[in-house]
Amino acid sequence: MYANDVKMSLEEVIEETRDFLSEEFEVDRDLILPENSLKDTLDLDSLDYVDLVVLIDENLNIKLTGEDFKGIETFGDFYQLVGKKLAL
Amino acid sequence: MIVAQDAITDYIPHRPPFVMVGNLVSASRERFESDFTVTNDNVLVQDGFFQETGLIEHIAQTCAASFGYLDREEAGQPKIGFIGAVSKVLVTELPPVGGTIRTVVTPLHQLGNIYLVKGESFLDGRILLGCELKIVVSE
Repeated sequence: MYANDVKMSLEEVIEETRDFLSEEFEVDRDLILPENSLKDTLDLDSLDYVDLVVLIDENLNIKLTGEDFKGIETFGDFYQLVGKKLAL
Repeated sequence: MIVAQDAITDYIPHRPPFVMVGNLVSASRERFESDFTVTNDNVLVQDGFFQETGLIEHIAQTCAASFGYLDREEAGQPKIGFIGAVSKVLVTELPPVGGTIRTVVTPLHQLGNIYLVKGESFLDGRILLGCELKIVVSE
């Protein structure tokens, strides 16, 4: 039960994240999949990462740093980071 | 005032005729403030008014001077920076020759060597221009 609650909470966060990333970066929501590349899918350059940090702060109240992005390749990696930051 | 106009080039890489910041009024990691008096010989004055591009450059140079000041205060050498992106520009009014602009810049986010800042310039308390800049500072 507890595990399901945690999973649902993270799932909700992931769905919300897909919504605002899709809208902000004008990318098909269906391409925002755990196995896909965060950088390539959102077509991020180094300046765009600042927009991503702002979006995450505004929507999820998480403050990310440059260090946080080390090792983040896919949306799956990114969701793990978000989950960790939210202690989910 | 923490840096007077006649010493401002010690903190920024810009040189006349492209110095677009006057006195640095204050600078902390949370807030920068400067002023600048528009002169008739300014290269970004047109038809008696300082243009939008000048206001944006002025905001950027306020950042440059403030980062330069803070770097020096923290025992480092001022770093070179440049404008990476300009967004959310809202122009309300242009300042005339002879007007003294007051500008407040607030750093909003930092990611590595990239800073997202919000800048607003005022004349006699009226807002002239607001924008966000991404400033990339060399490492």
